[in-house]
Amino acid sequence: MPGLPTRTTSPTRTTAERAMRPDKPRRYGPIGLALMAAAAGLWAAWTSGIDLATVLRGPETLLRILRMMLLPPDVSAAPAAFAGMIESLQIAWIGTLLGAAVSLPIGLLAAKNVGGRFSTTVARQVLNLLRSLPELVLAILFVSIIGLGPLAGALAIGLGSIGTLGKLTAEVVEGIDRGPIEAAEAVGASRVQVLRWGVLPQAMPEIIAFWLYRFEINVRASAILGLVGAGGIGGMLANYLSYRRYGSAGMAILIVIAVTIAIDAVSSRIRRRIIAGPQGSRTGPDPVPAADAL
Amino acid sequence: MTSDVAPRTARTRPQRPARSWKAPVGVLLFLAITWWAGSDRFGVGFSLPDLLANLERGQRIVSELADPRWQAWRSLIDPFIETLRIAILAALLGCSAALVAALGASRVSAPGLRSYLASKGVLNVVRAIPDLLYAMVFVAVFSIGPLAGIVALILFNIGVVGKLTSETVDGIDPGPVEAAQAAGAGHAQVVRTAIVPAVLPNYIAYSLYAFELNLRASLVVGFVGAGGIGQLLQVALSAFRYDVVALVVLFIFAVVFVVESFSIALRRRLV
Repeated sequence: MPGLPTRTTSPTRTTAERAMRPDKPRRYGPIGLALMAAAAGLWAAWTSGIDLATVLRGPETLLRILRMMLLPPDVSAAPAAFAGMIESLQIAWIGTLLGAAVSLPIGLLAAKNVGGRFSTTVARQVLNLLRSLPELVLAILFVSIIGLGPLAGALAIGLGSIGTLGKLTAEVVEGIDRGPIEAAEAVGASRVQVLRWGVLPQAMPEIIAFWLYRFEINVRASAILGLVGAGGIGGMLANYLSYRRYGSAGMAILIVIAVTIAIDAVSSRIRRRIIAGPQGSRTGPDPVPAADAL
Repeated sequence: MTSDVAPRTARTRPQRPARSWKAPVGVLLFLAITWWAGSDRFGVGFSLPDLLANLERGQRIVSELADPRWQAWRSLIDPFIETLRIAILAALLGCSAALVAALGASRVSAPGLRSYLASKGVLNVVRAIPDLLYAMVFVAVFSIGPLAGIVALILFNIGVVGKLTSETVDGIDPGPVEAAQAAGAGHAQVVRTAIVPAVLPNYIAYSLYAFELNLRASLVVGFVGAGGIGQLLQVALSAFRYDVVALVVLFIFAVVFVVESFSIALRRRLV
């Protein structure tokens, strides 16, 4: 049989050769990097002008504030904080939808196997630009344009999501199998029909998983946008903290943490189900390539 | 290929998979949530006509944004150096702690079930709190200044790098681990010789990525008084100087671009 691998043993090898230890691979890269990092760290610590006494007093102050926040948290603030968190969730939901709706066509244009050369370059640059704007800055701009309120937050989240989602969409689409596209072309499909029957069915599960992942990130983001008046629980939290109402702030923070973890749990289960199917494994790493997940 | 069997099977169409009740229910649920979240009464009040009418009002701001105040570049230098310090210290300290947390939070490398659950729980809670919230709390603890920013970003980095690294540990090749165990290595030796070397390139890549995130986050964190270039942004915004705002944002854009291309090149060599 030609396909079987055959073991090759070299009869000419002497015992001395076999006993020899392989040379240790020498890699200077990590060492150089560590030295650079250490030098940068020393410089930063040396010139920062932070005195050690303040740092050492930190834990004590932190504990005192935490005690005021959590022992006990101000339960009377719970209903208002919960309503604020619900508004944050709504902001994240609408924002993610807006971002997903806009990022899908841009992402398709940015994929090399779908868009033309010109559209790919333009779409990629647009996505890069959008990716570099922090949501808080966008929120500030939207608040000054359309006024205080959750809508400004939703728009900021939406615009802020387009960059990452578009980039990830393009990467997913570039990774699909060419077969179905060729099959669709062979039976005379138009460009739109190729997209509908050849591209999207392959790419959609992963793209939807990214949307859900982005929703998780957006829940965290929308919980703080209120700081600049863009709705949600953030404004309340900032007020409590600046008026030193630590008990109420503690309650609000607890609600943020609980809701965020709950949303993460539900969303990562749905993601796993979408990617791995009903028989998919329930353990193992998240089905989202970690390094790309902003 | 035999000619008499293949065509007949090809002619019969494959059966459609049975319809599940879950899909339509999911779609309905999705539409209901969207309507609820977008409605004027219960949600954010999303309406396209109002939005378009409002956008015209933003013309002055947009035109100021499009014309950055280049002369103000000198005022960027000191805040930027402070931002650099914050980002470096936070990345170094945060990523070191993240490695320990990540090794504890993976079943492969955790010394026991209890420490696994504890690390995993700590990482989940640390990750659930947004960076800006940390900044607000630590400004209350350390008062206004870069120290609050450093500590806030340390926690942020533990969350990000810890999660990514622990997932990488979950996915490593079990071969070297088994080999080390077979050769009689204790738990610490397995971690030291089989697990850490396997995840090191990825871990370094994540740390570089965290440094980038720190530079980006410095805009946001400084906003609540935690030092760096974000503080400049906050001052410019509260004075309605959108031309200065544009300068700061463009500057951070450039810095992040440079650091990103540098770290992409480094990562490519490492991984």
